[in-house]
Amino acid sequence: MSEEFIKFENVSFRYENAEDEPELPLALKNINITVNKGELVAVLGHNGSGKSTLAKLTNAILVPESGKVTVLGMDTADEELKYEIRRKVGMVFQNPDNQIVATIVEDDVAFGPENLGVEPSEIRKRVDSALKAVEMYEKRLAEPHNLSGGQKQRVAIAGILAMETDGIVFDEPTAMLDPRGRQAVMDTILKINKEQGKTVMFITHFMDEAVLADRVIVVNNGEIMTDGTPEEVFSDIQKLKDVGLDVPQARELQFRLSENGISFENNVLLEDDCVEAIKKLF
Amino acid sequence: MNVLSVRGLTHVYGQGTSSEAVALNNCSFDIEKGELVGIIGHTGSGKSTLIQHFNGLLKPTSGQVLLNGKDINESKESIVQSRFKIGLCFQYPEYQLFEETVAKDIAFGPKNMKLDEKEINRRVLQCIEYVGLDKSYLDKSPFDLSGGEKRRVAIAGVMAMEPEILVLDEPTAGLDPKGRDTIFGLIREYREKTGSTVIVVSHSMEDVAKLATKALVMNKGTVAMYGSIDDVYSRADELVTMGLNVPQITRIFMKLKAEGLPICGNIYTVEQGVNEIIRLKKEGYSL
Amino acid sequence: MIKDITIGQYYKAESVLHKCDPRTKLLLTIAFVVVIFLCKNFYSLALMAALTVIAMLISKVPVKMFLKSMKPILPLILLTAVLNIFYNTGGEILLSFWKITIRDKAVFTAIFIAIRIFCLIIVSSLLTYTTTPTMLTDGIEKLLKPLDFILKPTSFRVHTLAMMMTLALRFIPTLIEEIDKIMNAQKARGADLESGSIMQRAKALIPIIIPLFVSSFRRAYELAFAMDCRCYTGGDGRTRMKQMRFTYRDLLVFFVFALIFAGIIVLNIKFLPVI
Repeated sequence: MSEEFIKFENVSFRYENAEDEPELPLALKNINITVNKGELVAVLGHNGSGKSTLAKLTNAILVPESGKVTVLGMDTADEELKYEIRRKVGMVFQNPDNQIVATIVEDDVAFGPENLGVEPSEIRKRVDSALKAVEMYEKRLAEPHNLSGGQKQRVAIAGILAMETDGIVFDEPTAMLDPRGRQAVMDTILKINKEQGKTVMFITHFMDEAVLADRVIVVNNGEIMTDGTPEEVFSDIQKLKDVGLDVPQARELQFRLSENGISFENNVLLEDDCVEAIKKLF
Repeated sequence: MNVLSVRGLTHVYGQGTSSEAVALNNCSFDIEKGELVGIIGHTGSGKSTLIQHFNGLLKPTSGQVLLNGKDINESKESIVQSRFKIGLCFQYPEYQLFEETVAKDIAFGPKNMKLDEKEINRRVLQCIEYVGLDKSYLDKSPFDLSGGEKRRVAIAGVMAMEPEILVLDEPTAGLDPKGRDTIFGLIREYREKTGSTVIVVSHSMEDVAKLATKALVMNKGTVAMYGSIDDVYSRADELVTMGLNVPQITRIFMKLKAEGLPICGNIYTVEQGVNEIIRLKKEGYSL
Repeated sequence: MIKDITIGQYYKAESVLHKCDPRTKLLLTIAFVVVIFLCKNFYSLALMAALTVIAMLISKVPVKMFLKSMKPILPLILLTAVLNIFYNTGGEILLSFWKITIRDKAVFTAIFIAIRIFCLIIVSSLLTYTTTPTMLTDGIEKLLKPLDFILKPTSFRVHTLAMMMTLALRFIPTLIEEIDKIMNAQKARGADLESGSIMQRAKALIPIIIPLFVSSFRRAYELAFAMDCRCYTGGDGRTRMKQMRFTYRDLLVFFVFALIFAGIIVLNIKFLPVI
C-alpha cells in the first residue's frame, strides 16, 4: 500500500468574523481526503468554492475548526510541528510577485534552504539543480522584476524545490498568467511530479489543467462534490456545468455526438485521444 | 461609418536610448460604429501599447489615431476629450477603486467630466444596473466586495463616462468560468442597450469567438490579421504559430484535416464540430 | 521603459574592486569620507583626487557611468562654488566691480569644495557600481552585527533591518510599475494630475495613493505568508549561500589605503591649510 502523505479527517473550517458582525458560514464542511505519496492531484472549483482554503490547511497556514489535518502523521494544529510540516510540504501561491524576496533570482531560490540552516556549498548545489529543473538556470542572475509572470512563478517553484520538500501544494499557480506562462508552469508542475516523484496538489479553476492530473477533486460550496480520475470526474458534464465549471470540448463533442447516435469506444478528454477516436469512426 | 481609425501608428519605447524597443510598427485599421472587436495577441505583441494610444495615454512616435475623423492628439483639449469618449478599462481594474462607497467610485469619471449632480446620479444608477449589481451595493465600501463584484464596479466606473467606445483590457483575467461568462454577458447586454462600439483585448481566441463580431490579431507590433471571426479562424494554424490559444475543438479538427479527413469550413464551436462529423457520416466517408 | 530601471546601479565587471569583500568596501568608503573632510590643503586633496581616479580606473566601470551620476549634482556644486566666491571675505582681492569683490581665497575654497564633492560622488558611486545590492546589505548586516548586543532587550535585530532593506530593494521596481498602472487607470477616467493649485494637485493624488496603499498591504500580507511557508523565522539559525570572505586581497587593499590615508594626514600637517 502506498504511504499516506496529507490526510484530512472530517475537516471543517470557518473564517473569523469581524467583531460586530455575525458568524460567517463554514468555508469547508466535513472534508475527508487522503493524498498518497507521489500522487498528482488537482483540486477544481470556482472562486469561493473553498478550494484555496483547502490548500492553506495543508501546511498549517490555517488550522481546522474541527477535525484533523495531518502531514506524514504530524498534526497541523500542533504549533510545535509547524516548521517541521513546512519542511515536508512547500507552497506556491497565485501572485508570482508577492512570493519572491530577493533582488536576484538565485538569491531568492537560496532563501528557503538558508532558513533551514543548510550548509552553503549544499545550498549552491540545490539552487543550481532547482533552477535547472524549472529551466531558469540561464536567468539565475536576473532581477525578478525583469522576468515575465510565468518565469517568476517558475523561480518561486525553484525556491520550494531547493528546500527539498516531499510535496508541493500550488494555490492557483496559473490564475494570473498568460497562455504561454500557464503552459510553462503546468509543464514544470507535471515534470516535478513525474521526474522527481514529488507529491503534487494543485488548485485550479481551469479544467484543461485538471485533466492533466492523475486524480481530480471537485470542490463546491465547501464540500467535495466528486473525487476520482479525470475520466470519472468529467463523465457527468451537466453536473460540472451546474456548478459553473467548464468541461473539455473533446468530452463535450463526444457527449453531443452520442446524443446523435454516434459513440466513441472510450471516454476522451485530451485532444489526441479525441482525434484517434474520431478517426476510428470512419 | 468609422468611429475609430488608426493610421500608420508606430510607437518606440525609449527612443534614442540603449533599451530602444519598437512596440508598434506601422499599424493601420478602421473600426466601424457599433462593432464589437476583439483584439488578440500574446504578451508583448503590442496590444496594450496600442489601446493606450486610443485615449492619448501614450503619444505616437509617428502616425495618427482618429476619432470620428479627428486626430485625438491635435490639442491638449482633444486629448482630454478622448479620455471621455473612449473609455479605457485596464486589466485587473478592481485595483483602481479608491472611494468610500461604490456610488462615489462610479461617479469619479462623470465628476471629472464636470457634469451636474443630477446627471451623475442618473449615470451611477444606470451603470450599476448595466453591470448587474443591485442598487443596495451603492452605499457599500468597494473594499468589502468579492473579487468579481469589485471588477464589475470598476467596469461600471468606466461605463459611467458614457464613452462612444468602451475598451476593456483582459476583462476576465483571473476569473473562473462562471465569472468569465457573467462579464461577457454584461458586455453583450451593454452593447445591445447602448449601441456603443466595444473593443475587448484578450489572449484567447476562444473568448473572442464567443463575444466579438470581428477580430484583430496583433503579432510583434503589427496587425497580423483583421476580419470576421470566421476569416481569422480560417488561418487558425497561423494563430497557433503566433503562440495564441485556439479552442481545443479547433485543434482537434486541424489535426483531423492534417490526417486527411475532408473537413469543410472552420470549426471553432462544439456545435460546428458535431455537425461536421454528422455530415461526414451521412456522406458515408471512410478512411 | 519604466521597467528597465536598475536598482543599486550595479555594473557587472571583473575587477579587484568587484571581488573585494563588501565590508572592506564599506569601511574604506566611510574612511574616505572622513579623510577627505580632514584635508585642508591642495597637496592632500590632490592625493585624494589621484586615489579616486586610480580607483575609478581599476574598477573597469566606464567613465561615462560616473559622469552620468555627477550630472544631477552639477548645479548644486556650481551654486556652492558661486556662494563661496561671493561670501568668503578672506585673502587678497583679485577682482572688484560694482558691489562685488572676489578674493583669491574665495576662489581657492570654491575649487576645493567642488573637487571634494566630485571625489565623494565618484567614491560612493564606486561602491554601488562594484557591489550588488544583496552583497551590500549582507555587508551592512555583518558590520552592524555587534549592535545586536545593545538591541538584546528588544525583539529587533540587525538582521531585521537588513531583511527590510532587501525587501525594499526588491519591491521598489514593482511598486513603481504599479504606480504607473494606477495613474494610467485614473487618467483614463479623466483624472487631472497635471494642473491646478498645490491643494488641488495634492487632492488629485488621493485616487492614486489609496489603491497603492491597499495593494501594498495586500502584497505585504501575501509576502509574509510566503516567507513563513519557506520557514523564515528571523536571523537565528540561518545560513547564507554566498559567504563573505575576507581574503589577502582585502588585506592588501586595506594596507594600500591605510598608507595613502597616512600620507594625506602627513601632508595635511606639513603644509598650510587653504580652508
